[in-house]
Amino acid sequence: MKVEIYNQMLKAGKISRRNVMKGMASVGALSAMGGLPAPVRAASHGGNVRAEILKIPGVGMGSPTDADWQKVGEMCLGPTMANVAEGEFAGVELTFMGLNNQNLHNFLFRGFLKPWEAYTGAKINWIDLAQADYNPRLQQSIATGTVDFDIIEMGAPFEGDTAGRGLLDEMPDWVKDQIEADDIVGYLQPPVGTWDGKTYRITIDGDCHTFAYRKDYFTDPAITAATGMTEPPTTWQQVQAFTKAVKGQKDPLTGLDAYGFLDPLKGWGGFGFYFLEDRASAYVKHPDSPAWLFDPETMKPMVNNPGWVQAIQDVMDTMPDLPPDQINADPGTTAFQQFLAGTGSGICWWGDVGSSARTSDGSVVGDVVGFSINPGSDRVYNAKTSEWETPAEPNFAPNMAYLGWGVYVTSRVSGDEKKRKAAWSAAAHLGGKDISLWMSAYPSGFQPYRNSHFQYDEWEEAGYDRAYIEDYLGSNADSYNHPNAAIEPRIPGIFQYYSIAEDELAKGFAGQYGSAQETADAIAAAWEKITDQIGRDSQIALYKASLGM
Amino acid sequence: MSNAGDLLHVVTADDISDRRRFFGRALIWGSFAALVLVALLQAGDKLGWAEVGFSTWRPTLYAYIVWAVCLCWAQVIIRGEQGKRVLFVLPAALFVISLVVIPLVFGLGIAFSDWNLSSPDGRKFNGLNNVRQMWADPFYWNALGNMVWYTAAILVEYTIAFGLALLLNAEIKARKFFRVAFLLPLMLSPVAVSWMIGKSMLEVRFGPLARLARWLGWDNPSFFGSPEMAKFMIMVMDAWTFIPFMMIMILAGLQAIPKELHEASRVDGASGWRSFWEVTFPLMLPASITAILIRIIFKLKLADIIINVTSGGPGGATDSVTSFIFREYRDRSNVGYGTLLAMVYLVLIVIAITIFMKLADRWMNPRY
Repeated sequence: MKVEIYNQMLKAGKISRRNVMKGMASVGALSAMGGLPAPVRAASHGGNVRAEILKIPGVGMGSPTDADWQKVGEMCLGPTMANVAEGEFAGVELTFMGLNNQNLHNFLFRGFLKPWEAYTGAKINWIDLAQADYNPRLQQSIATGTVDFDIIEMGAPFEGDTAGRGLLDEMPDWVKDQIEADDIVGYLQPPVGTWDGKTYRITIDGDCHTFAYRKDYFTDPAITAATGMTEPPTTWQQVQAFTKAVKGQKDPLTGLDAYGFLDPLKGWGGFGFYFLEDRASAYVKHPDSPAWLFDPETMKPMVNNPGWVQAIQDVMDTMPDLPPDQINADPGTTAFQQFLAGTGSGICWWGDVGSSARTSDGSVVGDVVGFSINPGSDRVYNAKTSEWETPAEPNFAPNMAYLGWGVYVTSRVSGDEKKRKAAWSAAAHLGGKDISLWMSAYPSGFQPYRNSHFQYDEWEEAGYDRAYIEDYLGSNADSYNHPNAAIEPRIPGIFQYYSIAEDELAKGFAGQYGSAQETADAIAAAWEKITDQIGRDSQIALYKASLGM
Repeated sequence: MSNAGDLLHVVTADDISDRRRFFGRALIWGSFAALVLVALLQAGDKLGWAEVGFSTWRPTLYAYIVWAVCLCWAQVIIRGEQGKRVLFVLPAALFVISLVVIPLVFGLGIAFSDWNLSSPDGRKFNGLNNVRQMWADPFYWNALGNMVWYTAAILVEYTIAFGLALLLNAEIKARKFFRVAFLLPLMLSPVAVSWMIGKSMLEVRFGPLARLARWLGWDNPSFFGSPEMAKFMIMVMDAWTFIPFMMIMILAGLQAIPKELHEASRVDGASGWRSFWEVTFPLMLPASITAILIRIIFKLKLADIIINVTSGGPGGATDSVTSFIFREYRDRSNVGYGTLLAMVYLVLIVIAITIFMKLADRWMNPRY
């Protein structure tokens, strides 16, 4: 769970203290016994380990510390013991590169892996990086051929840069069994994590956009009279109509001007493009094809096809109906300074906006916020036939914006079987089914990503408010497992494409291009340049591989 | 020890034999040959002509260090006492060369290559393609155009700074307090300025300045909505940070003007304005030129406020060359092209500053 969510839940009392005493009692009893030898302790938890680890340190007992991470790591050693003998990796040294955001990520991994080191005899050296340093460091390592780490925490968009160049080690089958890979949610299943049919990734995180809306806009008499809508919109066509109709009304909460759906119009280092994708995916992600950004045969951008142009046109059409200065609002502004503060009635964002809406001090939308998967579209553009189609049901294509973090093993260890097994064993320990439950329940920097994370009974048992947790996680689960999810292509330089698209969109939104089509053509031209620069043939091959074609 | 010749400046009169001179020269040229050989081998290894097994550029670096040491040593061997004097400067000069010239040469190499960090092919020399791309790149020219506006704003900043400096130089109450208070913005990081002012105080809904604007009758205040307004606000924030810098330099200059000059002008019957225009301003020209020059250099680096507040928007209206290169280089990993843009910018800056200094020289000299 992201730290801010955890803290806000604590503050807002969304975590009950019902089970705290119970948790304290069992931990106390354990420590009173003076501790058992590690193997015994880990093994003795058996099927109960999930409930037991959720008591460390106890929901509502403050932020976990290194001692807690070590304890959890030790209790989750069971699967490792099944595959590795004690002391089997004595003398092996591994280097692990990861992030140090908010003192999480690598900090947790250190704690989790300490008992693993003690049991296996291996030693891990750490490279901690700040988020801002991460991409340059990784890309420079790749570009200059100086990969100096054996295990790496990495986002799926970089799989093209690494796996595509043979820098990663293929996952052995025993790891798949140990981490129970089948439990991972639909959209993170292969082809994500694979290249050319080989699996490389141990998923430890998930991400997607969901639609958050203001429920009171559909009950307020004045607004419903003006818009004629008493149910939240489910398609972009409805969103457009609603956004236009609501103009001139007053917000039921703040009494200020009411606004409809908020588009961020300013770039955000490439991440802003995800928000155009939210609209476009419904128009262009046809259920018959996994491709929606590029033609997989030629790498020709689809971004200037009629579906994408419609999405850009939609944004341009509602620009006059957005708050003043929206041209200078990036996604962070739309979410945290506008939507949560009571400006606007709809937004697409990652999971944390939904939870912050209910728990953040800065949020006034409190209990009037509802969630669903991203809106769909009444018609969908089929790039293969170059025709618009009108399906019986609207076309939904939730945007799996950023594929979350994973743990990968580099090909540095491929030649040394002992080292290779050690690296995979360490990675598998971090991606284990039980330890992941703990990571999604406590501050870790990671979101839920397994079907087993959506067993709400476990959360309730641990002390969470059930209604809250169901609401918070439900729309995520629906998006994750959607059959027509729009999945990010894992090709080298994907953020370069997003970044230049943001620049061109900014010009389009500022009226420097004649139309949405011209804006889209400018993006397409810029994308063609990037493709040519990176290498068209290799991009085609990698794009196909990433789509599992 | 000789007792003839320049006894005042020469500590020891060296009697250097031809053999010693030959050894010195051999040392220099021998180590230089070794350096060239290692560099060639290294280049050959890199370009795939010969398999030497150098995995990094360190061998060349070590050869350079050996050559540098030999060069310094040989100065003493060949020129004796005179050579020792050279040693006071030569190592520093070699150090500067190794830290400035060599990276510059490598930088030029990168600037003329097609190098996208995501490309599996790595760096490829592409001649003048980057220059051609730059020539046709509307984003770069737009950013350069914006820089002209940003730089022109320095004249206004200078006027304000001069006024403030005159005020602070006058006999006003709490002068010391104001001097410190006016300096405060300079102590803030531009990143802090962009967040505190650009993103908080100027926030259109809750920001105090937006509230004030609304109270003053501006219904829907938008500080970064239109291109002109956004550019103006960036200029204002940057000016607010750096006017104190110009002010303090001008103030120092004002305080250095002897009081007698003003007294003399007063005795001669000059009015306040004439005294300023005929005495203070001309005397302040050298300090002013320095302040403006340094300010131009600061201004040409303008990026942090733009990156944080507008990301160059709306539609590139506030983009500076540096913020554009930042996006090209960091967000798009386009190392070759980004380097070329920076190199061209460097050349433009050198030309512009040289012209400015020549002109300043011409303006200032006829006055005396």
